[in-house]
Amino acid sequence: MNVNQSGLDKFKENILSLGRSFTESYLRSGKPTSDKSRTAAIVNNFFLHVQGAKTHINTLRPTYTLGLGLISLFLLIITIVSGVLLMIYYNPSIENAYNSVKDINYVVFAGKLMRNIHKWGGEGMIITVLLHMARVFYTSSYKKGREFNWIVGIMLLILTFGINLSGYMLPWDQLSYWALLIVANIIQSPKELTDSLGITGLFDIGAFSKEIFLGGLNAGKEALTRVYLLHIMLLPLFLFIFLGVHFWRIRKDGGLTKPDIYEPKPWDSNLMSVPDKKGGIFPTNKTYGLMELAHGRTPAVDKDVENSVLSWPNLLVAELAVFVATLAGVVVYAFFIDAPLKELANPLIPENPAKAPWYFLGLQELLSYSAFMGGVGLPGIALLGLALIPYLDREQDYVGTWFSNRQGKLVALQALVVGTIVNIGLLVFTVNFGWFRSWWPKVPQLLITLINPGNIWVGFMIVWSLWVIKKTGSTRMGAIALFTMFVVSYVIFTMMGTLFRGPNWDFFWSTSQWPVH
Amino acid sequence: MQSRFYLSLMLISGLVLLMFMAFAGYRELAPEWKKYQKEYKELLVKGAKDENAKKMAKNFSVELQQLYLGDLKRVDRCTSCHIGYDNPAMANAKLPFKQHSGDYLKNHSVEKYGCTICHYGQGRAPEKDEAHAAIKATAHAAGAGAQEKQARKAAPTGEEHKVHWDFPIIPVQYIQSSCSQCHDSEFLKNKGGGKVVKGEEFFREKGCKGCHKLNSIGGDLGKALDGVGSQPIAYFPMKDVAGERNTYSWHKQHFVDPRNLVPESEMKVNVTEEEADFLATYVLSLRAEEVPKKYRRIRDIAPAAAPDGEALYKMYCIGCHTTGKESMYDEIFRRTIPSIKNPAFLKAVDDKYIKTVVTEGRAGTQMTSWKTTAAGLTEQEVDKIVSYVANDRPKDKPELFDVTKYKADTKRGEDIYKVRCALCHGKKGEGALGINLRNPVVQNADLQFLAMTARDGRANTPMPPFGKKGVGLSDQDLLDVVSYVKTLSKAKK
Repeated sequence: MNVNQSGLDKFKENILSLGRSFTESYLRSGKPTSDKSRTAAIVNNFFLHVQGAKTHINTLRPTYTLGLGLISLFLLIITIVSGVLLMIYYNPSIENAYNSVKDINYVVFAGKLMRNIHKWGGEGMIITVLLHMARVFYTSSYKKGREFNWIVGIMLLILTFGINLSGYMLPWDQLSYWALLIVANIIQSPKELTDSLGITGLFDIGAFSKEIFLGGLNAGKEALTRVYLLHIMLLPLFLFIFLGVHFWRIRKDGGLTKPDIYEPKPWDSNLMSVPDKKGGIFPTNKTYGLMELAHGRTPAVDKDVENSVLSWPNLLVAELAVFVATLAGVVVYAFFIDAPLKELANPLIPENPAKAPWYFLGLQELLSYSAFMGGVGLPGIALLGLALIPYLDREQDYVGTWFSNRQGKLVALQALVVGTIVNIGLLVFTVNFGWFRSWWPKVPQLLITLINPGNIWVGFMIVWSLWVIKKTGSTRMGAIALFTMFVVSYVIFTMMGTLFRGPNWDFFWSTSQWPVH
Repeated sequence: MQSRFYLSLMLISGLVLLMFMAFAGYRELAPEWKKYQKEYKELLVKGAKDENAKKMAKNFSVELQQLYLGDLKRVDRCTSCHIGYDNPAMANAKLPFKQHSGDYLKNHSVEKYGCTICHYGQGRAPEKDEAHAAIKATAHAAGAGAQEKQARKAAPTGEEHKVHWDFPIIPVQYIQSSCSQCHDSEFLKNKGGGKVVKGEEFFREKGCKGCHKLNSIGGDLGKALDGVGSQPIAYFPMKDVAGERNTYSWHKQHFVDPRNLVPESEMKVNVTEEEADFLATYVLSLRAEEVPKKYRRIRDIAPAAAPDGEALYKMYCIGCHTTGKESMYDEIFRRTIPSIKNPAFLKAVDDKYIKTVVTEGRAGTQMTSWKTTAAGLTEQEVDKIVSYVANDRPKDKPELFDVTKYKADTKRGEDIYKVRCALCHGKKGEGALGINLRNPVVQNADLQFLAMTARDGRANTPMPPFGKKGVGLSDQDLLDVVSYVKTLSKAKK
């Protein structure tokens, strides 16, 4: 720089170099053209540094992750953006909620599309989060220090359900209102147990919780305010906290799981760019990311470095591609299929059948056997069982391999077939012959609470997996059997409640057979 | 190419995304109402008479129209398509450009009243299907005939479009039901509200309130009718409604044939197609929500003279008892409705008896209790009805029957009953052509009354006189048989 320059000249030069100096200030390590600056681009960036500077090729393989966690995250981002746009018009009062949703559909520019995107993005999250859980389970990715992160994941699953459900109630149409009542009744379901134990008079926990949830005895404006609060603030807040922990722990664990022995395949070259050999700071086959220098048993220090590639651009390109694909999928779905909006909520006209949103219809099916077990007991057992899996199965082999080994595949297949047959058989029996109440009308409720098709199914799952553990001598095999049956029954019960239950929760082969009002 | 897999994924899904964003954008930028307004603009330009008008027409700007009606809690966007509603040049144009018919808008400016307050429909929706909310009959019923299913298959998918809106646009034949929200019938009579006035008249004179409560006065065999005109579709069984499935069609078709829509209905109605229109129009005017006071033009006219006995009889009794001159077996009630203005009956009973029956009703039959705490009539009104009914009582007093003169023998009475009475009143008195003798009123009546009825019969009914002047039973026979009749309630069915 010329010291003799006049002040004005310097100023002029600064203006001319504005673009360059801004870029330099933003990318303090220069453009990501060398290995060094690419690494810096990741570790110096607030948003990107939750990812390692280098990524194992296994992580990039779509056949390993199926991209499910990423898709879930992107769906979340899509729903947040569309949700904020909806909030501009939505009015959370029972006088205006319905009308404001109608206006969003009818006159807000792209309002209907935005609402569809929000709705399907949110419900899509349920599917992708569940599938992501299945992927993590079947690849044993809950082991070797990741046990707690599995529990965080389950919290995220519960929050996903909660946010979806609370959103379902906001339009204040018939669907919202009657789903709200069903949920209130689920919350009230401990009453069935306290009633049959005769301690309701002492403390009616069921009615108390229902009143807290609805903000009164009936579903009205207080309930809508509470549900709105849950949907837009409380549940998202917890979701972000748990999400942060979830990602942070993955980072601390050295990225995603991978098999102990990794075999590169020729096709892998389609997943990454060719490493830039020139100008790198790292020797070709030996690199240390920042995490690799940390001590402790969690990060994969010095392991498989030859099969790692720089996150910039390899990982970022993959992520961007998944994002675009996710967005395209949601937009196409939302373009063709409209989010439902029925008549204005009317407490005098019960929907028959009043159904919860589809993802809870499995629970509603269980609820039809016993309110307490369906509403609190069985979901509680299921969530507890899921949370305990990493602690009850402590075998540390085959991490990062789908279904562990050949035996695992067989156990999963066996559980799939046996589970499907037994579960459907149980439903066929219940539909055809009824249960205790239809045989002995005066049977005490406690007996039904204890013995009903839902409990029998859960009992069967537990017995079956214990038998698998005994036969194979492996807790991992037992876990595979149990988890497979859980997935099978979630799907079957949900399909039962969604497709085959009609007015008065009677069985119908299709909705076209429902009696017409 | 590097990262071939992900880059191609990005490329393909990016293209799909852009394509559908473009589709969505097009869909947003070319809504239905815009198409109509452009067509309207062409009409304007074509119809312009001089240069100036042409220039004005060309300046017509295509934009969404909205009537915000704060007082009525409505937002009507109907005029987005019905854009020529106030343009006299569009008097003969096709829909939706046609000018509003009549001179209604002169006194009902759309800025103040909007559209849906009279026409119903979904004002917020600027699309035809959603705004008109017409619900076509479709055969999604399992019981639907093959023919209907065929028709459904043949119908374009748009016909099956289900709009979740309870108040579809009201057909013009019932539109007068909206007028009476603000106008009284005196006004409407001469100002184009003839149908609803006629309907109200029918409603009064066909005895509808004999079974239906309105403002808490009336019988309780049928449903109360308060607010029935604005009840949502889900209240009505729509399964067998022909044509568009809405409450308007339901009311009309229900007046024509109640049991076609509600098989278990006991409703008695016998009206022509035209009268059914009037009645439907009136019933649809019974709405739950009142329009704000400043919109209403119901004048404080001097209350009409309190209805006399005849008017009250028509209002509350005529539905079942018709003229009251003949008794007949009623297929729907499955019992005989007594002829209460039959001189022979009136000769046998005094006013007090009739008044008791009217105020207390007859438990176990369709006869309502009309006292103030039940069906809601005042005592004066009941008296008026009683004296109207008793109008036809013959002057001569009936010959009394002295029951103390004989000793009743029910065993003998049973034998006579089997021969003489069982044919009409049933073997156990359950009633057939004749009335049910087991009903509480017969069972609680005194012997003298029953014996006199058996002796003298009921003129103009199938009940003949059984006394010496008729069939020829002795007074002893008569007493025996009515004593047996009084034991019927204890006998097993």
